[in-house]
Amino acid sequence: MSVKEQFIENAKDGKILTHKCTSCQHLHLSNVYYCEKCGSKGFEDSILDGVGSVATYTIITVAPAGFQKYTPYAFVVVKLDGTDLRISGFMGGITTPADLPVGTRAKITGFDERGIIVEKQ
Amino acid sequence: MSFVEKVCVLGAGSTKYGKLADSIGDITTQASVAAIDSAGIDPKEIKAAYISNVFGVADKQVHLGPVLMSNLGISDKPSLSIESACGSGSVAFREAFANVAAGFYDCLIVSGVEKVTHTGTDWTTTYFAYCSDFFYEGQAGASFPGLFASMARAYLTEFDATEEDFAKVAVKNHQNGLLNPKAHLQKDITIDDVMSSAVVASPLKLYDCCPFSDGASSVVLCSEKFAKAHGGDYVEVTGSGRGGSPAALQGREHMTTIPSTKLAAEAAYKMAGITAKDVDFAEVHDCFTIAEVVDTEDLGFFGKGEGIQAIREDRTKLNSDISINPSGGLKSKGHPIGATGVGQVVEVYDQLTGNAGARTVKDAKIGLTHNFGATGASCAVHVFQSV
Repeated sequence: MSVKEQFIENAKDGKILTHKCTSCQHLHLSNVYYCEKCGSKGFEDSILDGVGSVATYTIITVAPAGFQKYTPYAFVVVKLDGTDLRISGFMGGITTPADLPVGTRAKITGFDERGIIVEKQ
Repeated sequence: MSFVEKVCVLGAGSTKYGKLADSIGDITTQASVAAIDSAGIDPKEIKAAYISNVFGVADKQVHLGPVLMSNLGISDKPSLSIESACGSGSVAFREAFANVAAGFYDCLIVSGVEKVTHTGTDWTTTYFAYCSDFFYEGQAGASFPGLFASMARAYLTEFDATEEDFAKVAVKNHQNGLLNPKAHLQKDITIDDVMSSAVVASPLKLYDCCPFSDGASSVVLCSEKFAKAHGGDYVEVTGSGRGGSPAALQGREHMTTIPSTKLAAEAAYKMAGITAKDVDFAEVHDCFTIAEVVDTEDLGFFGKGEGIQAIREDRTKLNSDISINPSGGLKSKGHPIGATGVGQVVEVYDQLTGNAGARTVKDAKIGLTHNFGATGASCAVHVFQSV
Protein backbone atom coordinates (compact mmCIF):
# COMPACT_ATOMS: atom_id res chain seq x y z
CA MET A 1 0.00 0.00 0.00
CA SER A 2 1.41 3.42 -0.94
CA VAL A 3 1.88 6.09 1.71
CA LYS A 4 -1.08 8.00 0.23
CA GLU A 5 -3.26 4.89 0.44
CA GLN A 6 -2.16 4.34 4.04
CA PHE A 7 -3.02 7.97 4.83
CA ILE A 8 -6.50 7.53 3.35
CA GLU A 9 -7.13 4.27 5.21
CA ASN A 10 -6.13 5.93 8.48
CA ALA A 11 -8.34 8.94 7.76
CA LYS A 12 -11.28 6.59 7.25
CA ASP A 13 -10.67 5.46 10.84
CA GLY A 14 -10.43 9.03 12.13
CA LYS A 15 -6.62 8.86 12.37
CA ILE A 16 -3.88 10.95 10.78
CA LEU A 17 -0.76 9.21 9.50
CA THR A 18 2.27 11.42 10.16
CA HIS A 19 6.00 11.03 9.66
CA LYS A 20 8.30 11.72 12.59
CA CYS A 21 11.92 12.52 11.73
CA THR A 22 14.18 9.92 13.36
CA SER A 23 17.01 12.50 13.60
CA CYS A 24 15.26 15.53 15.13
CA GLN A 25 11.77 14.18 15.99
CA HIS A 26 10.05 16.92 13.93
CA LEU A 27 6.55 15.83 12.91
CA HIS A 28 5.24 16.15 9.33
CA LEU A 29 2.20 15.01 7.43
CA SER A 30 3.00 11.80 5.57
CA ASN A 31 3.39 13.45 2.15
CA VAL A 32 6.80 14.82 3.20
CA TYR A 33 9.90 12.84 2.20
CA TYR A 34 12.70 14.97 3.69
CA CYS A 35 12.59 16.62 7.10
CA GLU A 36 11.85 20.32 6.72
CA LYS A 37 13.98 21.07 9.78
CA CYS A 38 17.11 18.94 9.34
CA GLY A 39 16.83 17.48 5.82
CA SER A 40 16.97 13.88 7.05
CA LYS A 41 15.21 11.20 5.04
CA GLY A 42 14.69 8.94 8.04
CA PHE A 43 11.07 8.83 9.23
CA GLU A 44 8.98 6.62 11.41
CA ASP A 45 5.20 6.42 11.21
CA SER A 46 3.26 8.13 13.96
CA ILE A 47 -0.50 7.71 13.90
CA LEU A 48 -2.39 10.52 15.63
CA ASP A 49 -5.96 10.81 16.73
CA GLY A 50 -7.61 13.17 14.23
CA VAL A 51 -8.90 15.56 16.86
CA GLY A 52 -8.25 19.24 17.42
CA SER A 53 -9.77 22.67 17.12
CA VAL A 54 -10.81 24.79 14.15
CA ALA A 55 -7.97 27.20 13.27
CA THR A 56 -9.95 28.86 10.48
CA TYR A 57 -12.70 28.03 8.02
CA THR A 58 -15.04 29.30 5.35
CA ILE A 59 -18.61 28.50 4.39
CA ILE A 60 -18.79 27.96 0.65
CA THR A 61 -21.90 28.87 -1.32
CA VAL A 62 -20.41 29.02 -4.84
CA ALA A 63 -18.85 25.58 -5.18
CA PRO A 64 -16.56 23.80 -7.64
CA ALA A 65 -17.99 21.03 -9.85
CA GLY A 66 -19.32 18.10 -7.85
CA PHE A 67 -19.90 20.13 -4.70
CA GLN A 68 -22.97 22.15 -5.66
CA LYS A 69 -25.23 19.50 -4.11
CA TYR A 70 -23.54 20.01 -0.72
CA THR A 71 -23.80 23.82 -0.48
CA PRO A 72 -23.56 25.46 1.89
CA TYR A 73 -20.70 23.53 3.45
CA ALA A 74 -17.55 24.45 5.30
CA PHE A 75 -13.92 24.00 4.38
CA VAL A 76 -12.05 23.90 7.66
CA VAL A 77 -8.45 23.93 8.83
CA VAL A 78 -8.04 21.97 12.07
CA LYS A 79 -5.06 22.29 14.41
CA LEU A 80 -4.38 18.79 15.70
CA ASP A 81 -4.14 18.41 19.47
CA GLY A 82 -0.67 18.15 20.96
CA THR A 83 1.15 19.02 17.73
CA ASP A 84 1.98 21.99 15.51
CA LEU A 85 0.27 20.25 12.59
CA ARG A 86 -2.88 21.45 10.89
CA ILE A 87 -5.06 19.53 8.46
CA SER A 88 -7.92 20.72 6.28
CA GLY A 89 -11.07 19.06 5.11
CA PHE A 90 -14.77 19.13 4.29
CA MET A 91 -17.43 19.75 6.94
CA GLY A 92 -21.12 19.49 6.05
CA GLY A 93 -24.10 20.95 7.86
CA ILE A 94 -22.67 24.43 8.41
CA THR A 95 -24.77 27.34 7.22
CA THR A 96 -23.72 30.43 9.19
CA PRO A 97 -20.56 31.58 11.02
CA ALA A 98 -22.50 31.20 14.27
CA ASP A 99 -22.39 27.43 13.62
CA LEU A 100 -18.61 27.28 13.73
CA PRO A 101 -16.66 29.77 15.86
CA VAL A 102 -12.87 29.57 15.45
CA GLY A 103 -11.68 27.23 18.19
CA THR A 104 -14.61 24.83 17.87
CA ARG A 105 -13.57 21.27 18.70
CA ALA A 106 -13.46 19.04 15.63
CA LYS A 107 -12.47 15.53 14.57
CA ILE A 108 -11.59 13.67 11.39
CA THR A 109 -14.31 11.10 10.70
CA GLY A 110 -13.63 9.73 7.26
CA PHE A 111 -12.41 10.07 3.70
CA ASP A 112 -14.52 9.88 0.55
CA GLU A 113 -15.05 11.74 -2.72
CA ARG A 114 -15.10 14.93 -0.63
CA GLY A 115 -11.56 14.27 0.61
CA ILE A 116 -10.92 14.37 4.35
CA ILE A 117 -14.19 14.56 6.26
CA VAL A 118 -14.31 16.66 9.43
CA GLU A 119 -17.14 16.90 11.95
CA LYS A 120 -17.73 18.97 15.05
CA GLN A 121 -16.67 16.97 18.09
CA MET B 1 24.85 38.78 -6.87
CA SER B 2 26.32 40.40 -9.94
CA PHE B 3 24.87 40.66 -13.40
CA VAL B 4 26.40 41.06 -16.81
CA GLU B 5 23.71 43.48 -17.96
CA LYS B 6 21.27 45.96 -16.46
CA VAL B 7 17.73 45.07 -17.53
CA CYS B 8 15.10 47.47 -18.86
CA VAL B 9 11.48 47.42 -19.98
CA LEU B 10 11.47 49.07 -23.40
CA GLY B 11 7.84 48.66 -24.38
CA ALA B 12 4.52 47.45 -23.02
CA GLY B 13 1.02 46.68 -24.25
CA SER B 14 -2.23 45.08 -23.16
CA THR B 15 -5.58 44.17 -24.58
CA LYS B 16 -8.58 45.35 -22.66
CA TYR B 17 -9.34 42.94 -19.81
CA GLY B 18 -12.84 41.46 -19.65
CA LYS B 19 -14.87 39.07 -21.75
CA LEU B 20 -13.08 38.95 -25.09
CA ALA B 21 -14.31 37.35 -28.30
CA ASP B 22 -10.98 36.71 -30.02
CA SER B 23 -8.99 33.51 -29.49
CA ILE B 24 -6.20 33.09 -26.97
CA GLY B 25 -3.63 33.15 -29.77
CA ASP B 26 -5.10 36.30 -31.26
CA ILE B 27 -5.20 38.28 -28.02
CA THR B 28 -1.62 37.22 -27.18
CA THR B 29 -0.58 38.56 -30.56
CA GLN B 30 -2.55 41.80 -30.16
CA ALA B 31 -0.86 42.59 -26.83
CA SER B 32 2.54 41.67 -28.23
CA VAL B 33 2.15 43.87 -31.30
CA ALA B 34 1.20 46.74 -28.98
CA ALA B 35 4.32 46.10 -26.87
CA ILE B 36 6.60 45.90 -29.93
CA ASP B 37 5.13 49.11 -31.35
CA SER B 38 5.52 50.78 -27.95
CA ALA B 39 9.19 49.75 -27.91
CA GLY B 40 9.66 50.99 -31.45
CA ILE B 41 11.67 47.95 -32.50
CA ASP B 42 11.66 45.57 -35.43
CA PRO B 43 10.25 42.21 -34.21
CA LYS B 44 13.27 40.49 -35.75
CA GLU B 45 15.33 42.02 -32.93
CA ILE B 46 13.45 39.83 -30.43
CA LYS B 47 15.59 36.79 -29.62
CA ALA B 48 13.07 34.69 -27.65
CA ALA B 49 9.66 34.72 -25.95
CA TYR B 50 8.49 33.77 -22.47
CA ILE B 51 4.80 32.93 -22.41
CA SER B 52 2.74 32.78 -19.22
CA ASN B 53 -0.54 30.92 -19.38
CA VAL B 54 -2.43 28.49 -17.17
CA PHE B 55 -5.54 27.19 -18.91
CA GLY B 56 -4.72 27.30 -22.62
CA VAL B 57 -6.47 23.97 -22.90
CA ALA B 58 -9.77 25.74 -22.11
CA ASP B 59 -9.46 27.65 -25.42
CA LYS B 60 -8.03 24.68 -27.31
CA GLN B 61 -4.53 26.10 -27.59
CA VAL B 62 -1.46 25.08 -25.64
CA HIS B 63 2.11 25.51 -26.93
CA LEU B 64 1.27 29.14 -27.52
CA GLY B 65 4.83 30.33 -28.06
CA PRO B 66 5.28 29.12 -31.63
CA VAL B 67 1.82 30.48 -32.53
CA LEU B 68 2.83 33.92 -31.27
CA MET B 69 6.23 33.82 -32.93
CA SER B 70 4.70 32.74 -36.25
CA ASN B 71 2.18 35.59 -36.03
CA LEU B 72 5.03 38.03 -35.37
CA GLY B 73 6.95 36.78 -38.43
CA ILE B 74 9.77 35.33 -36.32
CA SER B 75 8.90 31.63 -36.29
CA ASP B 76 12.58 30.72 -36.10
CA LYS B 77 12.88 32.22 -32.59
CA PRO B 78 12.55 30.02 -29.47
CA SER B 79 9.81 30.31 -26.88
CA LEU B 80 8.97 28.81 -23.52
CA SER B 81 5.64 28.53 -21.72
CA ILE B 82 5.54 28.96 -17.95
CA GLU B 83 2.75 28.02 -15.54
CA SER B 84 2.69 29.12 -11.92
CA ALA B 85 -1.06 29.52 -11.43
CA CYS B 86 -2.07 33.18 -10.94
CA GLY B 87 1.60 34.10 -10.53
CA SER B 88 2.61 32.83 -13.97
CA GLY B 89 3.12 36.31 -15.41
CA SER B 90 5.61 37.51 -12.83
CA VAL B 91 7.43 34.19 -12.86
CA ALA B 92 7.81 34.36 -16.66
CA PHE B 93 8.98 37.96 -16.28
CA ARG B 94 11.53 36.85 -13.70
CA GLU B 95 12.93 34.14 -16.00
CA ALA B 96 13.16 36.63 -18.84
CA PHE B 97 14.86 39.12 -16.50
CA ALA B 98 17.42 36.49 -15.48
CA ASN B 99 18.23 35.67 -19.10
CA VAL B 100 18.79 39.29 -20.08
CA ALA B 101 20.76 39.99 -16.88
CA ALA B 102 22.99 37.00 -17.59
CA GLY B 103 23.67 38.19 -21.12
CA PHE B 104 22.04 35.25 -22.91
CA TYR B 105 19.68 37.50 -24.83
CA ASP B 106 19.69 41.27 -25.37
CA CYS B 107 15.98 41.55 -26.23
CA LEU B 108 13.02 39.35 -25.30
CA ILE B 109 9.27 39.51 -25.23
CA VAL B 110 7.22 38.33 -22.25
CA SER B 111 3.56 37.65 -23.03
CA GLY B 112 0.93 36.64 -20.51
CA VAL B 113 -2.56 35.54 -21.46
CA GLU B 114 -5.72 33.86 -20.23
CA LYS B 115 -9.00 33.06 -21.97
CA VAL B 116 -11.53 31.39 -19.67
CA THR B 117 -14.76 33.37 -19.39
CA HIS B 118 -16.48 31.32 -22.10
CA THR B 119 -16.33 28.28 -19.80
CA GLY B 120 -18.73 29.86 -17.26
CA THR B 121 -18.46 30.46 -13.52
CA ASP B 122 -18.84 26.82 -12.44
CA TRP B 123 -16.08 25.49 -14.66
CA THR B 124 -13.76 28.42 -14.09
CA THR B 125 -14.19 27.95 -10.33
CA THR B 126 -13.40 24.27 -10.84
CA TYR B 127 -10.34 24.85 -13.05
CA PHE B 128 -8.95 27.42 -10.63
CA ALA B 129 -9.34 24.96 -7.74
CA TYR B 130 -6.80 22.77 -9.54
CA CYS B 131 -4.21 25.40 -8.58
CA SER B 132 -4.60 24.48 -4.90
CA ASP B 133 -2.84 21.57 -3.18
CA PHE B 134 -5.61 19.44 -4.61
CA PHE B 135 -5.46 16.41 -2.31
CA TYR B 136 -6.03 18.53 0.79
CA GLU B 137 -7.94 21.51 -0.62
CA GLY B 138 -9.65 21.24 -4.03
CA GLN B 139 -10.65 17.64 -3.36
CA ALA B 140 -12.37 18.76 -0.13
CA GLY B 141 -14.45 21.36 -1.97
CA ALA B 142 -12.22 24.37 -1.38
CA SER B 143 -12.62 27.04 -4.05
CA PHE B 144 -10.15 29.90 -4.33
CA PRO B 145 -12.60 32.34 -2.81
CA GLY B 146 -12.93 29.75 -0.04
CA LEU B 147 -9.20 29.58 0.62
CA PHE B 148 -8.87 33.36 0.81
CA ALA B 149 -12.05 33.50 2.87
CA SER B 150 -10.29 31.19 5.32
CA MET B 151 -7.48 33.75 5.52
CA ALA B 152 -10.06 36.52 5.95
CA ARG B 153 -11.76 34.63 8.79
CA ALA B 154 -8.38 34.25 10.51
CA TYR B 155 -7.65 37.97 10.03
CA LEU B 156 -11.03 38.97 11.46
CA THR B 157 -10.37 36.70 14.44
CA GLU B 158 -6.82 37.88 15.05
CA PHE B 159 -7.01 41.63 14.41
CA ASP B 160 -9.34 44.58 14.90
CA ALA B 161 -10.95 44.34 11.47
CA THR B 162 -14.45 44.19 10.02
CA GLU B 163 -15.99 42.99 6.79
CA GLU B 164 -16.73 46.65 6.00
CA ASP B 165 -12.98 47.34 6.15
CA PHE B 166 -12.38 44.66 3.52
CA ALA B 167 -15.15 46.19 1.42
CA LYS B 168 -13.26 49.48 1.42
CA VAL B 169 -10.43 47.83 -0.53
CA ALA B 170 -12.88 46.97 -3.29
CA VAL B 171 -14.34 50.48 -3.32
CA LYS B 172 -10.85 52.04 -3.62
CA ASN B 173 -9.75 49.75 -6.44
CA HIS B 174 -12.95 50.31 -8.37
CA GLN B 175 -12.36 54.06 -8.10
CA ASN B 176 -8.90 53.57 -9.62
CA GLY B 177 -10.27 51.25 -12.27
CA LEU B 178 -12.72 53.91 -13.39
CA LEU B 179 -9.64 55.84 -14.56
CA ASN B 180 -8.28 52.87 -16.52
CA PRO B 181 -9.89 52.43 -19.96
CA LYS B 182 -8.65 48.82 -20.13
CA ALA B 183 -10.18 47.75 -16.79
CA HIS B 184 -12.71 44.93 -16.77
CA LEU B 185 -15.09 46.30 -14.10
CA GLN B 186 -15.47 50.03 -14.66
CA LYS B 187 -18.10 50.61 -12.07
CA ASP B 188 -18.25 52.92 -9.08
CA ILE B 189 -19.31 50.90 -6.05
CA THR B 190 -20.06 51.66 -2.40
CA ILE B 191 -19.39 49.76 0.80
CA ASP B 192 -23.11 48.94 0.89
CA ASP B 193 -22.87 47.45 -2.61
CA VAL B 194 -20.10 45.14 -1.42
CA MET B 195 -21.84 44.23 1.83
CA SER B 196 -25.13 43.45 0.09
CA SER B 197 -23.60 41.40 -2.73
CA ALA B 198 -24.08 37.63 -2.67
CA VAL B 199 -21.87 35.60 -0.34
CA VAL B 200 -19.43 33.47 -2.35
CA ALA B 201 -17.45 32.00 0.53
CA SER B 202 -18.10 33.51 3.94
CA PRO B 203 -16.93 36.13 4.90
CA LEU B 204 -16.15 37.07 1.27
CA LYS B 205 -18.91 38.40 -0.92
CA LEU B 206 -19.04 38.75 -4.69
CA TYR B 207 -17.59 42.27 -4.66
CA ASP B 208 -14.72 41.14 -2.42
CA CYS B 209 -13.65 38.92 -5.32
CA CYS B 210 -11.84 39.84 -8.52
CA PRO B 211 -13.66 38.82 -11.70
CA PHE B 212 -12.75 35.98 -14.01
CA SER B 213 -11.25 37.81 -16.99
CA ASP B 214 -9.85 37.24 -20.44
CA GLY B 215 -6.90 39.34 -21.48
CA ALA B 216 -3.31 39.51 -22.62
CA SER B 217 -0.35 41.69 -21.69
CA SER B 218 3.15 41.84 -23.15
CA VAL B 219 6.38 43.66 -22.42
CA VAL B 220 9.64 43.98 -24.31
CA LEU B 221 12.58 43.40 -21.99
CA CYS B 222 16.13 44.24 -23.00
CA SER B 223 19.61 45.11 -21.83
CA GLU B 224 20.38 48.74 -20.97
CA LYS B 225 22.78 48.86 -23.92
CA PHE B 226 20.01 47.73 -26.26
CA ALA B 227 17.58 50.28 -24.78
CA LYS B 228 20.02 53.17 -25.11
CA ALA B 229 20.89 52.19 -28.69
CA HIS B 230 17.23 52.22 -29.67
CA GLY B 231 16.22 55.40 -27.89
CA GLY B 232 12.69 55.90 -26.65
CA ASP B 233 11.28 55.59 -23.17
CA TYR B 234 12.34 52.76 -20.90
CA VAL B 235 12.38 51.93 -17.21
CA GLU B 236 15.03 49.94 -15.36
CA VAL B 237 14.27 46.72 -13.49
CA THR B 238 16.33 47.26 -10.35
CA GLY B 239 15.12 44.40 -8.18
CA SER B 240 13.80 40.88 -8.70
CA GLY B 241 12.89 38.49 -5.92
CA ARG B 242 11.12 35.17 -5.59
CA GLY B 243 9.87 33.09 -2.72
CA GLY B 244 7.81 30.05 -1.86
CA SER B 245 5.26 29.04 0.78
CA PRO B 246 3.73 25.69 1.75
CA ALA B 247 1.39 24.67 -1.08
CA ALA B 248 -1.59 24.23 1.26
CA LEU B 249 -2.89 26.75 3.78
CA GLN B 250 -2.74 24.03 6.43
CA GLY B 251 1.05 24.05 6.11
CA ARG B 252 1.30 27.60 7.44
CA GLU B 253 1.60 28.45 11.08
CA HIS B 254 -0.03 31.83 10.47
CA MET B 255 -2.99 32.19 8.11
CA THR B 256 -2.77 35.99 7.95
CA THR B 257 0.58 36.25 6.22
CA ILE B 258 2.04 34.87 3.01
CA PRO B 259 5.64 33.75 3.57
CA SER B 260 6.58 33.82 -0.13
CA THR B 261 5.70 37.52 -0.36
CA LYS B 262 8.06 38.37 2.48
CA LEU B 263 10.89 36.32 0.94
CA ALA B 264 10.38 37.75 -2.54
CA ALA B 265 10.14 41.33 -1.26
CA GLU B 266 13.24 40.98 0.89
CA ALA B 267 15.24 39.71 -2.10
CA ALA B 268 13.88 42.38 -4.46
CA TYR B 269 14.51 45.24 -2.01
CA LYS B 270 18.03 44.00 -1.37
CA MET B 271 18.83 43.79 -5.08
CA ALA B 272 17.39 47.25 -5.69
CA GLY B 273 19.14 48.70 -2.63
CA ILE B 274 15.91 50.14 -1.25
CA THR B 275 13.43 49.59 1.57
CA ALA B 276 9.64 49.47 1.46
CA LYS B 277 9.58 53.18 2.43
CA ASP B 278 11.18 54.11 -0.91
CA VAL B 279 8.35 52.65 -3.01
CA ASP B 280 6.06 55.32 -4.53
CA PHE B 281 3.36 52.97 -5.78
CA ALA B 282 2.69 49.25 -6.01
CA GLU B 283 0.62 46.90 -8.11
CA VAL B 284 -0.16 44.11 -5.63
CA HIS B 285 -2.02 40.81 -5.94
CA ASP B 286 -5.53 41.72 -4.75
CA CYS B 287 -7.37 38.66 -6.04
CA PHE B 288 -9.62 39.18 -3.00
CA THR B 289 -9.91 42.20 -0.72
CA ILE B 290 -8.25 40.33 2.16
CA ALA B 291 -5.26 39.62 -0.10
CA GLU B 292 -4.48 43.31 -0.60
CA VAL B 293 -4.50 43.92 3.15
CA VAL B 294 -2.16 40.98 3.76
CA ASP B 295 0.06 41.95 0.80
CA THR B 296 0.62 45.50 2.01
CA GLU B 297 1.72 44.16 5.38
CA ASP B 298 3.96 41.40 3.99
CA LEU B 299 5.58 43.86 1.57
CA GLY B 300 6.53 46.01 4.56
CA PHE B 301 4.35 49.04 3.78
CA PHE B 302 2.51 48.55 7.07
CA GLY B 303 3.03 46.52 10.23
CA LYS B 304 1.25 43.23 10.87
CA GLY B 305 -2.41 43.90 11.53
CA GLU B 306 -2.02 47.57 10.52
CA GLY B 307 -2.88 47.20 6.83
CA ILE B 308 -6.54 47.34 7.71
CA GLN B 309 -6.07 50.62 9.59
CA ALA B 310 -4.34 52.06 6.51
CA ILE B 311 -7.37 51.14 4.41
CA ARG B 312 -9.70 52.72 6.94
CA GLU B 313 -7.68 55.94 6.85
CA ASP B 314 -7.48 56.09 3.03
CA ARG B 315 -3.70 55.88 3.13
CA THR B 316 -3.50 53.60 0.08
CA LYS B 317 -5.71 55.60 -2.27
CA LEU B 318 -4.30 57.10 -5.46
CA ASN B 319 -1.80 59.82 -4.53
CA SER B 320 -2.06 59.30 -0.79
CA ASP B 321 0.74 57.88 1.43
CA ILE B 322 1.40 55.05 -1.02
CA SER B 323 -0.74 54.43 -4.09
CA ILE B 324 -1.75 50.76 -4.06
CA ASN B 325 -3.09 49.36 -7.31
CA PRO B 326 -3.46 52.57 -9.30
CA SER B 327 -4.52 50.42 -12.28
CA GLY B 328 -7.57 49.19 -10.35
CA GLY B 329 -5.76 45.99 -9.44
CA LEU B 330 -7.06 42.51 -10.06
CA LYS B 331 -10.28 43.59 -8.35
CA SER B 332 -11.29 46.16 -10.96
CA LYS B 333 -8.81 45.92 -13.83
CA GLY B 334 -9.48 42.19 -13.88
CA HIS B 335 -7.54 38.96 -13.44
CA PRO B 336 -6.76 36.99 -16.59
CA ILE B 337 -4.52 34.82 -14.49
CA GLY B 338 -1.68 34.15 -16.92
CA ALA B 339 -1.60 37.82 -17.94
CA THR B 340 -1.88 39.48 -14.54
CA GLY B 341 1.80 39.52 -13.54
CA VAL B 342 2.82 40.92 -16.93
CA GLY B 343 -0.08 43.40 -16.88
CA GLN B 344 1.25 44.79 -13.60
CA VAL B 345 4.54 45.55 -15.38
CA VAL B 346 2.61 47.25 -18.18
CA GLU B 347 1.02 49.53 -15.56
CA VAL B 348 4.38 50.34 -13.97
CA TYR B 349 5.88 51.08 -17.39
CA ASP B 350 2.95 53.39 -18.23
CA GLN B 351 3.22 55.12 -14.84
CA LEU B 352 6.98 55.69 -15.01
CA THR B 353 6.96 56.85 -18.63
CA GLY B 354 4.12 59.35 -18.20
CA ASN B 355 1.45 57.34 -20.01
CA ALA B 356 -0.98 56.59 -17.18
CA GLY B 357 -3.37 59.45 -17.86
CA ALA B 358 -5.85 60.35 -15.12
CA ARG B 359 -4.55 57.67 -12.76
CA THR B 360 -0.96 58.96 -12.80
CA VAL B 361 0.88 58.65 -9.50
CA LYS B 362 2.42 62.10 -9.11
CA ASP B 363 6.22 62.37 -9.07
CA ALA B 364 6.62 58.60 -8.97
CA LYS B 365 10.16 57.29 -9.42
CA ILE B 366 9.98 53.77 -7.97
CA GLY B 367 7.21 51.26 -8.68
CA LEU B 368 6.77 47.70 -7.44
CA THR B 369 4.90 44.67 -8.75
CA HIS B 370 3.77 41.80 -6.52
CA ASN B 371 2.09 38.73 -7.97
CA PHE B 372 1.57 35.28 -6.54
CA GLY B 373 0.25 31.88 -7.52
CA ALA B 374 -2.57 30.11 -5.65
CA THR B 375 -2.72 31.27 -2.01
CA GLY B 376 0.81 32.60 -2.34
CA ALA B 377 2.52 29.24 -2.71
CA SER B 378 4.76 30.95 -5.26
CA CYS B 379 5.49 34.65 -5.51
CA ALA B 380 7.60 37.17 -7.42
CA VAL B 381 8.27 40.81 -6.57
CA HIS B 382 9.94 43.27 -8.93
CA VAL B 383 11.16 46.82 -8.40
CA PHE B 384 11.31 49.34 -11.22
CA GLN B 385 12.88 52.78 -11.42
CA SER B 386 12.40 55.59 -13.89
CA VAL B 387 15.50 56.72 -15.80
